[in-house]
Amino acid sequence: MASLVARFAANIYWLGRYLERAENVARILAINETYARDNPGGPSWQRVLDLHADSKRFLELHGEPTPESVLAFYLIDRDNPSSIVCCARSARENARSVRHLISTEMWTHLNVFYTGLSALQKRDVTVNTLSKISHSVVTGCQDFEGVAEGTFLRAEPWCFYQLGKYIERADQTTRILDMGYDRLTPAGDDAVAWVHWNVLLRSVSGYHAYRSRHPGASRPPDIAAFLLYDDEFPRAVKLCVGHVTMRLRDLEHRHGSELTAALETERRRLEFLVGTGPGKTLTPRRLHHYLDDVQQHLARVSDAIGACYFAGD
Amino acid sequence: MPARSDNEATHLFADYDPGEWFCELRGRGRGAHTRDIQKRLGALDRAALRKRAKDAAKELFNLGITFTVYSEREAIDRILPFDVIPRILTPNDWQQIESGTKQRVAALNHFLHDIYHDEKILKDGIVPEDLVKTNANYREAMKGFSVPQGTYVHVCGTDLVRDEKGRFRVLEDNARTPSGVSYVIENRHLMMRAFPDLADGIPIADVDEYGSHLMRTMQDVAPTGVTDPTVVLLSPGVFNSAYFEHVFLAREMGAQLVEGRDLIVEDDKVFMRTTSGRERLHVIYRRIDDDFLDPKVFRPDSLLGVPGLFDAYRKGNVTLANAVGTGVADDKAVYAYMPRIIKYYLGEDPILENVPTHICREPDGLQYTLDNLESLVVKPVGESGGYGVVIGPRATKRELRELRAKLKKNPKNFIAQPMVRLSVSPTLVGRAIEPRHVDLRPFTLTGKSSWVLPGGLTRVALKRGSLIVNSSQGGGSKDTWVLG
Repeated sequence: MASLVARFAANIYWLGRYLERAENVARILAINETYARDNPGGPSWQRVLDLHADSKRFLELHGEPTPESVLAFYLIDRDNPSSIVCCARSARENARSVRHLISTEMWTHLNVFYTGLSALQKRDVTVNTLSKISHSVVTGCQDFEGVAEGTFLRAEPWCFYQLGKYIERADQTTRILDMGYDRLTPAGDDAVAWVHWNVLLRSVSGYHAYRSRHPGASRPPDIAAFLLYDDEFPRAVKLCVGHVTMRLRDLEHRHGSELTAALETERRRLEFLVGTGPGKTLTPRRLHHYLDDVQQHLARVSDAIGACYFAGD
Repeated sequence: MPARSDNEATHLFADYDPGEWFCELRGRGRGAHTRDIQKRLGALDRAALRKRAKDAAKELFNLGITFTVYSEREAIDRILPFDVIPRILTPNDWQQIESGTKQRVAALNHFLHDIYHDEKILKDGIVPEDLVKTNANYREAMKGFSVPQGTYVHVCGTDLVRDEKGRFRVLEDNARTPSGVSYVIENRHLMMRAFPDLADGIPIADVDEYGSHLMRTMQDVAPTGVTDPTVVLLSPGVFNSAYFEHVFLAREMGAQLVEGRDLIVEDDKVFMRTTSGRERLHVIYRRIDDDFLDPKVFRPDSLLGVPGLFDAYRKGNVTLANAVGTGVADDKAVYAYMPRIIKYYLGEDPILENVPTHICREPDGLQYTLDNLESLVVKPVGESGGYGVVIGPRATKRELRELRAKLKKNPKNFIAQPMVRLSVSPTLVGRAIEPRHVDLRPFTLTGKSSWVLPGGLTRVALKRGSLIVNSSQGGGSKDTWVLG
């Protein structure tokens, strides 16, 4: 088999990214629903808009955010590129270009998944149905992942799929973590804050994993460190970055696609940042800035991957 | 119509009446296996049959066996409607189709070589020179260039119909980039999943080998000296309605699927842009038309092609399949001469006959056409897609008067044929089984030698009385079984 056409490498990379993004948008909406429900008058749906830097755009298009309008915006709005339906559509359009390189089962699953999502109407999307919808999106994405695991040839295309998936996942974990940064050091009697951190852990399917790591009392800084630096938790930023490194090594050594010096430099910078952490004491401010920094480094690695592999020269 | 119990022994076919047409399932000489299949079909419960048909349609959609229509912002996938009652070809039918299509492709290849080299057939006055030279699909640039193995038409789709007496007739040759073969194979897979019981114990020729035959065909015609050629399929891209087929074939062949923007020509050699830089390629199975292949030689506004591709081709550094300039051979005007072309190059009578065609540029043909205008179908040559066709029996007096004037003024522009009384095949329509008209497109692959995929695409006109099988006009498809 000849080498991979550069354009298809990009399609597969973005397939991985968009599906992972859809899954995480669903996770974020579910967390926020819990926050909003437990704390009327507290943090509102504005938070989700801030997290995606969408506040200004949203205000212009839809006015003051209400739970329903924000949910519609992120679930079914076909003009909002970060909505779940748009992510699924982009994933599918990328997959359409590379149907010959992925398995039939992967395509079929994605096709059925997207068809189901695009049938959702505004009246279907309410605070009360969110949990169910969000769960079905997460499950749909995880099912796809399982299908890919069992059917996708571990050749060059797979490496790009993994690269896209892990870069997006690392990025999304930092965003989810950012939803709790201002409650990083709650006062001793702030029961609500504890609840929030547990919700956050559960939302990344990390509650039991964390418990097995830290039996007994849990502290928010430990939870943050767990989501950032754990070597074994599959959504931890460090583990994701580790996978990025492994796949880049595979590309170089097994598939003869050498890294450019620029890509190797960006990769090392990211690895260093994730390896050292934000310093000993994690303050809310420091965490927030650190997460920002990680996001920017991830974006630079992503750009360098594009320059290295997707141009085809 | 009297109500019938679903339990009646012959119920499914009880009201089935093919009338004056030849029926593909019940016509003469259909053999014991066909009777078996009919019996099994007839014994199926109506509701169960409908349910299985519905499931099959849903599966096609989920699998993405679709053609895609693009609106402003959405890709809309449509399935080609699938009818669950197979179309049966007996061993005798197939023997004739297989040898007949091979013969036709051999003649087409001789003809194309000749008109781009010595022009013997033109000089001998068998085919009028202006018919070839003024044809929109004649490519002057191909003059004097010899293609590997002498093969111009690597993939040919021959459209066949069957008349009321059960005789096969060729309706047209598709010698450029015929499509539809993916449905042949997917229809079979679907059919075997939905109706494993129907085919049980009946020998049906396999269709799964198409991809490997296609790959071998492409390898056969690699440039001289290349022993392990890199083969790619060149597609116009995801916006092309046949993109599924391109994906399907690339996968079945184990070839790369590329678009023009993935390729680059340097020193008259063709490369593709890959993750590890540029890689040389040798054979291109192209699914884009001549006009769009190379903006430097053909249409300068083409964004689908590759600048410099044609020079690389003429230097013999890359093979294009089908060859450039084959469109002149599948033109309606040339079609009329096919029986003579076959005779000229092969010294044989055609195994598959044309629909009798009157060539209006010839005095006898014109006279016959003018005398029988009310019963003939008159087609302008050089047009495609049914444009300008006048169907005598359905035309108004005024239309006929206008046609008569046009014919007299410019007879060269026309051919005339009798109405073909297309055969029918039992088809599930709503809750009933009714006769619907069908055609057949077998696919012939030619590299060093020819191979025909057993069966082919059966298209069915789903509207009652309609003779138009095109998917854009309410046509569907059926699985086609060649019995052993």
